[in-house]
Amino acid sequence: MERKRSVRRHRRGERSFAKRCKDYIRHFVAFLFSNLGIIGLVIGYTMGGALIFRSIEKDYHLQVKTDVVNAKMKTISEIWNFTIFMNPFLEEEYKDMLEDQLMNFQTSIVRSVRKGYDGSRLSYSEQWSIAGAFLYSLTLITTIGYGNITTHTMAGQIMTIFYAIIGMPLFLLYLSNIGDLLAKSFKWIYANICLCRWCPGVASRRAERKRRAEKIRYYSEEDPYFNERLRSEENEDQKNECSSNSTEESVEDSEESYDVESVTVPITVCLMIMVGYICFGGFLFCKWEDWRFLEAAYFCFISLSTIGFGDFVPGDKIIGHSDVDEVLVDEVFELRFVFCAVYLMLGMALIAMCFNLMQVSETLYTYFLCLSCNEARIYRLFFTTINILKIFQQ
Amino acid sequence: MSRYQSRLEIGELNPPSRCLRCWRFTWKTITCIFSHIALITSVVAYCAAGAFTFEALEVENEKEIKRSIKGIRQNISNHLWRLVVESDVLDEKNFTQNASYLIQNFEGALIKAMTKEGWDGEEDENIVQWTRTGSLFYSIVVITTIGYGHLTPKTALGKVVTIFYAILGIPLMLICLSNIGDIMATSFRFLYWRVCCYVCTKPKKPRRSRSGRSSARSSERLSRSRNASFRRSVRTSTKSADSGFGYLTSHSDTDLRYHDYGNRRSLSRNRISQTSRYSDSFVKRGQSVPRTSGKTSSLDRKKFSNRHAAKDSENFELQAFDKTPILCNKYVIKEGELNGHSIPGITLREFERHLQLLSPENLDVTHDDIHQHKGDTRRKKSPARMNPSPKMMTPLGYGYKSKYLDDPDSDEEFYYDDVYYDVVKQRTRPVPIGLCVFLVMSYIVAGAFLFDYWEQWGVLNAAYFCFITLTTIGFGDLVPAKGVSQTTNETTTTVTVSIALCSLYLLFGISLLAMSFNLVQEEVITNVKSIAKHLELLRVMMKKNQIMNSHNI
Repeated sequence: MERKRSVRRHRRGERSFAKRCKDYIRHFVAFLFSNLGIIGLVIGYTMGGALIFRSIEKDYHLQVKTDVVNAKMKTISEIWNFTIFMNPFLEEEYKDMLEDQLMNFQTSIVRSVRKGYDGSRLSYSEQWSIAGAFLYSLTLITTIGYGNITTHTMAGQIMTIFYAIIGMPLFLLYLSNIGDLLAKSFKWIYANICLCRWCPGVASRRAERKRRAEKIRYYSEEDPYFNERLRSEENEDQKNECSSNSTEESVEDSEESYDVESVTVPITVCLMIMVGYICFGGFLFCKWEDWRFLEAAYFCFISLSTIGFGDFVPGDKIIGHSDVDEVLVDEVFELRFVFCAVYLMLGMALIAMCFNLMQVSETLYTYFLCLSCNEARIYRLFFTTINILKIFQQ
Repeated sequence: MSRYQSRLEIGELNPPSRCLRCWRFTWKTITCIFSHIALITSVVAYCAAGAFTFEALEVENEKEIKRSIKGIRQNISNHLWRLVVESDVLDEKNFTQNASYLIQNFEGALIKAMTKEGWDGEEDENIVQWTRTGSLFYSIVVITTIGYGHLTPKTALGKVVTIFYAILGIPLMLICLSNIGDIMATSFRFLYWRVCCYVCTKPKKPRRSRSGRSSARSSERLSRSRNASFRRSVRTSTKSADSGFGYLTSHSDTDLRYHDYGNRRSLSRNRISQTSRYSDSFVKRGQSVPRTSGKTSSLDRKKFSNRHAAKDSENFELQAFDKTPILCNKYVIKEGELNGHSIPGITLREFERHLQLLSPENLDVTHDDIHQHKGDTRRKKSPARMNPSPKMMTPLGYGYKSKYLDDPDSDEEFYYDDVYYDVVKQRTRPVPIGLCVFLVMSYIVAGAFLFDYWEQWGVLNAAYFCFITLTTIGFGDLVPAKGVSQTTNETTTTVTVSIALCSLYLLFGISLLAMSFNLVQEEVITNVKSIAKHLELLRVMMKKNQIMNSHNI
């Protein structure tokens, strides 16, 4: 009997422990998917991907490098042999030979560049350093896909496919979460700063309304009857508008929600934000890298629109100057990559925010368009566009 | 245009003649085809314009680079020659050192030409990448945001033009693709439900029995709706884990509802005959539905019922208007509140329309129920097949719980009755996710074999290429018609053909992806969000509640 009870108690304790565990796990996962956690999750996923891809691809990359070195050695030794054993030493013949050899060497170089050879002479794989692999993972899940670093082994390619299948929705989740957050905060900023200060007529009215709302909130805590008194005053003020208590409530509601939800940021502001961010990026990258401003802005646009040609890639400067000290290279290289990654993640979230903001105004706009002219066609077109945009972009 | 007409028609409630219907159908088809054709033509024209522009801008630069390669090589061989001639004694070690330095330089120059200047490794000036086809391919790659990067503009003008070209082209392409995806989704849905399911369920009739069951279920829900809605609202307010299924964030939710709204409108045309058939009885029926909903919601949500009861408890029309689907969008509610119902004409009209849209559906449910028990003709079965709500059809085995019922938005917007949800949900007949995934997978596999055949890449490489292309990642390490011209001295026609095939493949594939997104998006979003909600991951609900609380204060 006692044993049974103890067993039961033990079981209960176990169950509660399991439940607690479950709770902890749930809280942890909830944190991971919350606004702050999702950033950590994306970064962690990218880091994990970086390590995996590095371990898979590094050896192959080193192999390609040694192949190039071998080809070079072979070319030189053949030139030497020819030089030694050429009997009548004629310029024509010798240059023909050189042309031949160099041509062979050139094709082998072209082939290894296609296999991912980047021309660095360093003993370690620079492409698949931690930072490089990090950038690879990031470009993979953001679907930018620069293509300067690509996998060439079979395992790497299969891994890429599965990594992208999981990673892309994760990044979309990040974008939608952070985009929402940014959109809300931007709306708040826009409503509080831009709208209230810049246009005097509207501002005074708004300030008045706001003050009244604050008054209500302030006094309603201290004096329970004040609310009604104020309301009766307001009723007198707005006799034509409010006839009963209930409508007034709705008016108050609209005032409350005015700041948060119902502010529509004009599309021009959104566009200005995007252009400004690209220009800012252009300025930044033309300081960091050896690019001109136009090139840097072009790079930013190509990256943020997820086209990702890969003709300009961060870290170019360092790869070009291969005489720099190795340790220094590694450090600077990583720093650049990290800055670029931050720029990309922030920029894509910002663009998601802009889409979010534009979407609200567009839906409103199209809805009234529909109401006014009964033209469902435009509305549906807009809707499908927005939906697809959301799917592709967020 | 046609939809406008259909809406008007429903408003008039006259049974249209067969001729009129036929004419309208053809008119609709023609407008549909022309609008889509116009869109596709504009995209094609845009691509063609891009092809001409970029070819004109870039081809000279590329030829210049090709010429410079030869110069580099000659320079190096001159250096080597001088090295040999000028040295008095040919020492192997010394020579090797100097030669390796020179060759190192040569290698650096080659790599720079390849990675920075866009040299493709080919020296023949007649074989350029920026041909007309190449530029066309480049424009497609830009506006689909694939961005292989095997061809990139090198001149400053080319870069600027690319930026503006992409700004205009990407939305255009998206619209076009979504349109094509829409058409494909509609036709695929039609194909799946009308042809496949009909054929495959004909002998065994499992689908039919299923639909019968589900329609019975929905009718059961119909009868239960008063109690159920109350219960559910209680559940939402207690925020149990169970209530989390079918949770959606505010804006995606809005969009989906918009979608339903649009669908409903578009499909309403098909309902004309039924509307007319039931026109005598639906008014009564339609009136009863919103009234019950009004009651239930007044039980649930004190605030709204208070407001409306205080306003006009007698006039159920406005109240019902607030409960009718026109308010499915939260912005609309806000507007309505802000304006203080300053647009009564619209609201009344909308309300009437929604009544009309609601009622025949209800009747459909019941009628089909009856008819199905009798086992009747196919004509009657087709609406019955619409009855199963998407949940029932999911292969993942979710319950038949309607997805918006336990929406946290219902704190504000809980005034749809179950009937409306059923009605709306019945409109979109979903295709199982598994089928769509299978479709995309098989497309990738087919592409793998095709590219293996065309380009001799190997199956895995080709599958990798297809995946990277269709997800618009676009690394560009494998690009069509690159290896061909390298290994064998092919003529330009084969290059053209393979580029054309590839662009066709990727355009169709992206629209296929858009189609499958279109088909499964509701399911996927709902499932993901429900899982997320189950883990209490999303905080929107809390925020909503906070807003509500602040309103209540």
